[in-house]
Amino acid sequence: MERLSPQSEPRQPGPIRLAEPDAKPEIQQTVRPERIIIQAKDFSFYYGSKTGVEKITMDIEAGSVTAIIGPSGCGKSTFLRCINRMNDLIPNTQADGLLTVNGQNVYDKNTNLVNLRQQVGMVFQKPNPFAKSIYDNVAYGPRLQGIRRRSDLDAIVEQCLRDAALWEEVKEDLSKSALALSGGQQQRLCIARTLANKPKVILMDEPCSALDPLATARIEELIASLKGTYTIVIVTHNMQQAARVSDRTAFFCLGKLIEYGRTDVLFTNPAKKETEDYITGRFG
Amino acid sequence: MLWRQIKNIVFTVFCSGSVLLLAAALLFFLVPMIWKGSQAVFFRKTVEFDKMQMELFRRGHPAVLEKITAQTNQARQPALALLDHFSRGVDTTLLSKEARSAYQQFGRHLRYREVSDEEYTRLREEAKDIRDAFLKAVETTDKTEAESFLDLVDAQQNNPSFQDSPFRIVFSLSKDYRQILQDIDLSRRSEYAAELDIVKTEMRKLFGPLPGESVPPLAQDRFGATRWDVAQKHLRYLIYQTKWVPSEQEDHRLIARQIRRDDPEEGIFGKTELAPLFSMVEQNLAAMLQPRPTIYWQYFLDDSTAGHYFGGAGPEILGTLLLTVLSMCFAVPLGVLSAAYLVEYAADGIITRVIRTCINTLAGVPSIVYGLFGLAFFVLMVGKPCILSASLTLGLLVLPVIIRASEEAIRAVPQSYKEASLALGAGKFRTFLTVTLPAAGPGILTGIILSLSRAAGETAPILFAGAVALGPIPNVGLHPKWLFQPTRALSYGCYDITVGDRLAMQVPHNQFGMVMTLILLVLLLNLAAIFLRWRMSRKLQGI
Repeated sequence: MERLSPQSEPRQPGPIRLAEPDAKPEIQQTVRPERIIIQAKDFSFYYGSKTGVEKITMDIEAGSVTAIIGPSGCGKSTFLRCINRMNDLIPNTQADGLLTVNGQNVYDKNTNLVNLRQQVGMVFQKPNPFAKSIYDNVAYGPRLQGIRRRSDLDAIVEQCLRDAALWEEVKEDLSKSALALSGGQQQRLCIARTLANKPKVILMDEPCSALDPLATARIEELIASLKGTYTIVIVTHNMQQAARVSDRTAFFCLGKLIEYGRTDVLFTNPAKKETEDYITGRFG
Repeated sequence: MLWRQIKNIVFTVFCSGSVLLLAAALLFFLVPMIWKGSQAVFFRKTVEFDKMQMELFRRGHPAVLEKITAQTNQARQPALALLDHFSRGVDTTLLSKEARSAYQQFGRHLRYREVSDEEYTRLREEAKDIRDAFLKAVETTDKTEAESFLDLVDAQQNNPSFQDSPFRIVFSLSKDYRQILQDIDLSRRSEYAAELDIVKTEMRKLFGPLPGESVPPLAQDRFGATRWDVAQKHLRYLIYQTKWVPSEQEDHRLIARQIRRDDPEEGIFGKTELAPLFSMVEQNLAAMLQPRPTIYWQYFLDDSTAGHYFGGAGPEILGTLLLTVLSMCFAVPLGVLSAAYLVEYAADGIITRVIRTCINTLAGVPSIVYGLFGLAFFVLMVGKPCILSASLTLGLLVLPVIIRASEEAIRAVPQSYKEASLALGAGKFRTFLTVTLPAAGPGILTGIILSLSRAAGETAPILFAGAVALGPIPNVGLHPKWLFQPTRALSYGCYDITVGDRLAMQVPHNQFGMVMTLILLVLLLNLAAIFLRWRMSRKLQGI
């Protein structure tokens, strides 16, 4: 595990409605500035007149695993889907503030969506492999990038399946339909499919919510093994999972970032009362 | 609680009842149709069928056919001779024609013999007297008068001048006619003549042209009954006459009675020489026609004679397939792309809603309106009714159905599929092509199945736009000339036979055969599409 820098950097979040209206959120921003890959500054996102997230300010360090927790409807997924602009599919939305990935403004007019989404991969709540063979699923991204040579594709597919810890289970028949795999295998295939794009960031939107404990454990192992090579942002409802896999945790509530800091600190010694209430189960 | 149970039961009974009713109606409608239609393929053929096949389609073994023809001719011989003999007495034109021709030949005979001029004139005068006496005997309707004229003729029978000359045939004619006079009621001769006409027509329908007649111009008159069921029908017409008699009840209505023509009391030919003909034909019909069961599978390939009298539905099947496939070629890409635009690209504004309403309305427009539109637009555009304009009209007809089905299918593809592709950096169009379209495939195919059946079965749209009842078979090839020809089609063929001049009555097997072929074709196309859809969804489910 990397060492975290000791100095904390207080930020300016919006007012909190729950309690202590004047209180500043406790931000234990232990991120080293030179390693920041995703940066949000007063970032807000609106669905029409409804607020999705409001004035989010947080930095995410490259190569780390960041968990986002919070009650339902608090804007965790909204924020996650803003990072690779998947919210564009919803009509009448509007973004405000600054959100950068690798120094590039995500919501800039000139942002190349294809490049952005290749850099920022995403794994969804429900496994959603294409109704194609395992091979074609993994090769979908590289083919989009124009890789056509069979030997190159073969190498990428094998490497990604190995990285996603799926190779040993499927190497016998890569032409098998992806839909014939079990749920856990499908989710690992989706991760392999994302890896094939060689992304810098992988966003995971509750990747284990549709899986049984065993498959969940395997995905968690996989996340641990991918850490360092990829920056992972994971939204989860499962606080044990957040505690197990992440380096840092952000707690969202009602569209606002309440607390963000090292996972061990946040779970053992939360600075905010809402956080404490949520992780102890008294609220949420 | 009880009330809820009752409601439950009523609902179940009502629903299953309506399903059963639908199934029963379908069975009630389809089973007889297919049963009748199957008789176009499975039936008992007669020797006339073999003759027809040989002459029209060059099918069969000449030697075998010749043998059978000889056998049947032998069996028919007595009946045909009887008919011929009797008709001489009734149809006197034949007798007088023969007498006249004998007289002319006698003249030529005398010239050949180089007799002197006086002798020639004398013999000619004598012959002329005899001839005129015979003609008078033939023409009169008074039996005694006729016999006295015949006596005049017979008096000259032993005149040596006429021995060994062509004129002596007149004496044998006279002998024949004297015999006929014994059986025939001369006062009823015109009545006999009318009935005899019917008898002759039915005999022709049974056995083809009567001996001595020239080959008829229409193919349908060249052969007798080619099928045993048709033969039985004509046998009935031959034997029975319909007599209208007053009802015995007070209302004095006329009722039809079927009477045998050879009935000794009431039948018109009961007491004549012709009477044995009917039982002769009745008893020996099998020997005269030699019926054998057959499977005429070439029905689905053969061309037909004018009016579908003989032959099959080959060109109709080809035409229907061409029209259906071509209309799908126009409608499917257009429909799927429109649906994709409506779902994926168009914003949900007032214009899209108007377009959607228009499509729904178009789906309900009567097909004859499409037919008239095809006439007014495509036919004028192309220049004449042809396959192209007909299939364009059909394509337009099914377009709304395909758009609706495709729209629903594309909308039903889970958002997560599209998200997965988009999140990998694919563009909107690529996502549609590689992810959405395959996933929507089964749904789109359902729409195509529905419209296939509709396009194959519709008559009204092609009525003016390119369907014909008779015409050349489209010569499908690389050269697109065939696109600009009209074509026959099953649906139009069914319509044409049904409204045709007494045709449906004469060839019900061909009418129902065409209906059955259409049903089978639609069923086959449906099965193919259903199989395709099954394969596709299996693939999608990863089995």
